[in-house]
Amino acid sequence: MRKFSKKELTKYDGKEGRKAYIAHDGLVYDVTDSFLWKDGKHQAIHFAGNDLTEELKKAPHGIDFLKRYLIIGKLKDS
Amino acid sequence: MAKVTREMVENAGLNVDEVVELLVKNAAAELTTYYYYTILRINLIGLEGEGVKEIAETARVEDRNHFEAIIPRIYELGGKLPENMKDFHDLSACPPAALPKNPTDIKAMLTVLVEAERCAVRGYTHICNLTAGKDHRTYDLSQAILNEEIEHESWFSEFLGEGPSGHFLRRGETSPFVGKFLR
Repeated sequence: MRKFSKKELTKYDGKEGRKAYIAHDGLVYDVTDSFLWKDGKHQAIHFAGNDLTEELKKAPHGIDFLKRYLIIGKLKDS
Repeated sequence: MAKVTREMVENAGLNVDEVVELLVKNAAAELTTYYYYTILRINLIGLEGEGVKEIAETARVEDRNHFEAIIPRIYELGGKLPENMKDFHDLSACPPAALPKNPTDIKAMLTVLVEAERCAVRGYTHICNLTAGKDHRTYDLSQAILNEEIEHESWFSEFLGEGPSGHFLRRGETSPFVGKFLR
């Protein structure tokens, strides 16, 4: 499984046709095709290319939502 | 735009553009849901479907009311709606509540309906959490909508047999919580 550094992950911000990846609890998910992650942005305040472990703790949904997305790698420095 | 209104929200430490973006996204979700629910309601037929139709209709009408109630707040805060309806559809806070492949499958229909309501409940909870104690008017509006979305979720979820039923069909006029924003 591919390993991403936090810096590498920032390249996948979903903008200008780039892939949108997010990290949670050491795993990297591909959310590119999600309706809820258009242009790498979710609910106005969450951005792809980042480790969202802390942000997800405050979200009005659980981590079960991540099961909808493909795991494409691991975060190196988590 | 209500200049001082925007200033007060900014002074409370909120990013007003983010609040506006969320309101526009949720307004889009309400109007598109109204549209998709129209198709769902039309297809709720037969012995099982007709039993759900009345509640689907109430939810449909109330979602349109939510759209109407949100719009003034967007403009008060200096925001605006996209000029293109397709752009508006595509930025919705929730995925389309599309007709299932087999519309006679009432469980599939109810699943679409309950998922749409759950997305709305999450969305307005998010706005309430963000604006609580900072943007009183947006909070009040979002909380009113949240109350109705929670009831919609309960109606459909109880039809799916999830838990004992504590809710009844709307009595009296629609939008008992949001009505004050529509007068």
